[in-house]
Amino acid sequence: MPALSAQHLTRRFGNRLAVDGLSFEFKAGEIFGLLGPNGAGKTTTLRMLAGLIAPTSGSVQIDGETMTPDAAPRLRARIGFLTEAPGLWDNLTVRENLSIYARLYGLADPDEAVTNALTLFEIADRSQDRTARLSKGLKQRVALARAIVHQPPIVLLDEPTSGLDPESARDVRELIVGMREQGRAVLLCTHNLDEVERVADRVAVLRSRLVAVGSPGELRERLFVPRLRIRLSQPAEPFAAILRTSGLGDVSVEGTSLSLSAGKRPTPEIVRTLVEAGAGLEAIGEEERSLEDVYIKLLNAGERAK
Amino acid sequence: MRMLALLHKELADERQNLSLFVPSLIVAVVAILLPVFVAIIVPYATGERLSDSSDFEIAIELYRSQPGTRALDPEAAIQAYLFQFFAVMLVLIPVTSSMSLAAYSVVGEKQARTLEPLLVTPITTFELLGAKVLGAFMPSIVLTAVSYIVYVLVTVIFARTGVAGILLGARSIATVFVLGPLAALAALQMAVCVSSRVNDARTAQQIGVLVILPIPGLLVGQLFGALTLSVPVIAMIALGLLVINAGLMWLAIALFDRETILTRWK
Repeated sequence: MPALSAQHLTRRFGNRLAVDGLSFEFKAGEIFGLLGPNGAGKTTTLRMLAGLIAPTSGSVQIDGETMTPDAAPRLRARIGFLTEAPGLWDNLTVRENLSIYARLYGLADPDEAVTNALTLFEIADRSQDRTARLSKGLKQRVALARAIVHQPPIVLLDEPTSGLDPESARDVRELIVGMREQGRAVLLCTHNLDEVERVADRVAVLRSRLVAVGSPGELRERLFVPRLRIRLSQPAEPFAAILRTSGLGDVSVEGTSLSLSAGKRPTPEIVRTLVEAGAGLEAIGEEERSLEDVYIKLLNAGERAK
Repeated sequence: MRMLALLHKELADERQNLSLFVPSLIVAVVAILLPVFVAIIVPYATGERLSDSSDFEIAIELYRSQPGTRALDPEAAIQAYLFQFFAVMLVLIPVTSSMSLAAYSVVGEKQARTLEPLLVTPITTFELLGAKVLGAFMPSIVLTAVSYIVYVLVTVIFARTGVAGILLGARSIATVFVLGPLAALAALQMAVCVSSRVNDARTAQQIGVLVILPIPGLLVGQLFGALTLSVPVIAMIALGLLVINAGLMWLAIALFDRETILTRWK
């Protein structure tokens, strides 16, 4: 059973359609990336998933139980939500911030829960500091600790590394991966493609409606024909002409590199053709398409379909 | 339990933000010093006793006619009248104090971007607003109690014998500790209502200030003899305030629209 499931989720604000018929699900021990440009409806989707705002139509199910206004307060206890801003009470210490949330969730032993969260996120040494005095990276760490202080099986993260320096962002990514290892179902909402590429098991591309869902690898395969990249020790243009003459139509040149779609022709045969023509081969491999390529192609396709 | 948790946060936040209490401290100082100035300092500085002025004949008659105050000499009777009259000012302390805290309550959380994480928790609107109301109410009542003690001590030190005893009577105590808290509760609930509907703390405070208006009205009413704050009158006003408070709590919950607060406020 999926930890969280969204079925035909739609939300209108007046005449504006913010989210249109979104359906997806993710399970425990999975990081599910929700990608989309600004205004694509990511935050609105997260708020509906967290039961903060009601969908105009469609439904959200947490562990098979439908989120209704009556069930929302109870189901929200199964969710940890990191909002885009850390949203910490600046005048309170780190421990006080977490302790109040532990009590708001009605934990039997709030002090122990807070100590565990402080230890897990390696902020125990800062527990008596007022959060106003913390760096942005540390604040985000505290906010993450707050999001899981009640040990929720589902964690929703809205732009968790937004505005962080590279080192802090890497730390936060490690913590997110740690959540997967703890068996939580994690939804990572971001427009940082590199981040999703590094940590997400599956990705949904959103532009008010769902453009595509799948693992980064699946999306690449779906959208791009595999290509070979061959680096030569000399200018590649003459060898591109030879390959074209041999029947390979899609060959492009970039200095000393060739990029080609092999189609059904075996790679050793292509290599032999080049070597027989006197080419010096330095490297050969499959051309790596980034998630950014996938994302741009999906959004462009979505734009054209409108 | 959840209300207590959030109340703890409110009180901790206030301890770190003592400047929030400056307006009410100013009101407290004015409320304490004003009668001292009128009843003690002015007669002392001018060398004229209040009882020599015909303006206070009614006060002397009023106080002489009551068994508890019959024994007071004319000057003490006028002082008692003035100190009791200005005791209504003490009602302003919890009202201004709680209102300045409550006006910031919801809109302040939104501006600090702390409201959304809070709303994700299982906390109900009643618990959230209850904690906000109590968080503003409790310190304001403590401040009022301290001000009242100082007020009485000032009369013990500076006023004539017997005046302080009048302030410890049912009328004064009911004014300060029944009318004050109930008016404060109404004011801060009104401020919480406003705070839930506007997206700027200053606007919430400006609208909330309107709640203070009836209190100077009580002072003026007494001054012109239109109203005497006797114990039965205080009881009637208190009953009215209780009804208003119940209505305001219902209104505050009805007006607190989570979706609008999250999606429309910037």
